[in-house]
Amino acid sequence: MKTPVSVLRLPSGPEPNSRGFDPSSPRFTALCSSSSSDDDDDDEEQQRLRSELRQRFLWTLSLMKHKLVQFDMHERVRMRARFGASDLDVLRLQVSELETPLGVQREALVRSQDVLACSFEL
Amino acid sequence: MAMRQTPLTCSGHTRPVVDLAFSGITPYGYFLISACKDGKPMLRQGDTGDWIGTFLGHKGAVWGATLNKEATKAATAAADFTAKVWDAVTGDEVLTLAHKHIVKSVNFTQDSNCLLTGGNDKVLRIYDLSKPEAEPQEIAGHTSAIKKALWCNNDQQILSAAEDKTIRLWDKNTKEAVKTLSFDASVSSMEYIPDGEILVITYGRTIAFYKANSLDLIKTVDAPASIHSASLHPEKDFFVAGGDDFKLYKYDYTTREEMESYKGHFGPIHCVRFSPDGELYASGSEDGTLRLWQTAVGKTYGLWKCVLPEELSSENSEILYCPPAEIKA
Repeated sequence: MKTPVSVLRLPSGPEPNSRGFDPSSPRFTALCSSSSSDDDDDDEEQQRLRSELRQRFLWTLSLMKHKLVQFDMHERVRMRARFGASDLDVLRLQVSELETPLGVQREALVRSQDVLACSFEL
Repeated sequence: MAMRQTPLTCSGHTRPVVDLAFSGITPYGYFLISACKDGKPMLRQGDTGDWIGTFLGHKGAVWGATLNKEATKAATAAADFTAKVWDAVTGDEVLTLAHKHIVKSVNFTQDSNCLLTGGNDKVLRIYDLSKPEAEPQEIAGHTSAIKKALWCNNDQQILSAAEDKTIRLWDKNTKEAVKTLSFDASVSSMEYIPDGEILVITYGRTIAFYKANSLDLIKTVDAPASIHSASLHPEKDFFVAGGDDFKLYKYDYTTREEMESYKGHFGPIHCVRFSPDGELYASGSEDGTLRLWQTAVGKTYGLWKCVLPEELSSENSEILYCPPAEIKA
């Protein structure tokens, strides 16, 4: 009977919340380490701006709760609904009383990738 | 002592893996890119299968993927009618090349300056990556969708395989077809080995070897099942093939005899490639996984460790993972 070859471990898989390309890896630091202090400042400013934008986005989502929101979709379709919540990755939006061209849907999940724009009154 | 092959399974893709490619050997090892119908091609360390990153941006199934020799650039071909060029170190998208239909194949020249694309609009395109705004050079002639397009003969010629059941050899400068091979069945895959100018193609249950510059036939081998992809070892002593019956077959290239077959995948095998050092080969399957297989089973390499029987039962055995014996229904 043949003995199976042993392995040290299994290959590591993708991280759930990151696209990878670890900036601290030897290859990255060797091939992309052309940053001067100016670049570092730019990076910090960029990061600050990104954080601010992200915060604003999350605030907007929380303000939308219970509000009547208009969704602009493809093919000039516009739907109104009462906004409930978004999932963690903002892939799906939970809404109520969704007014679709085919009728009103009491409860629905809207695919955020299908939404071109959404608007609501504060 | 006879050893049983332990394939290393790389998970992460959620749909069938349809193409894979290795880079050359770089100071940081070699790398592997996989094209998947989930639209998210992944980069992995070639000798271990460890995930490095995912190229995010395509809006459709990715049909083709390639790396340049130095693994600094990646290119992908997708159903969203674009080919994209990526920085393979940072994962950033560098270029999007719009096409008029699904793009199926991408290939860099040796100097990474030009990208060849081919797809369902039946036209081969050559992009100068130093002038991405410029219109690509176009080579027309195929009468059906192009499945694979490769540079060959020092990047002076192009080999293309299409659904019109032909393989054509083109001169890059004149854009004329130098030679055409016709088949009774659609060619399922094509691999070009620069060292020795060998072309490996598969169709039906056949794996065929041709001289790349003349398209003269060297030899053919028939497998027990329909084959989707084959790869020749860099030293040209073995070749591996996989297809519809989910198994990997290993053949002696000289004698054409089947040496081994390996089960493991849970779906048809779409692509198989030897690593640049020939120590392992990778297979991509309909089951959504990539598997790495040893060429010399039992050798210590990458994550595989050659273990003597005494070591298996010693105190040090906790650091090793011994795969459980497969229970066959």
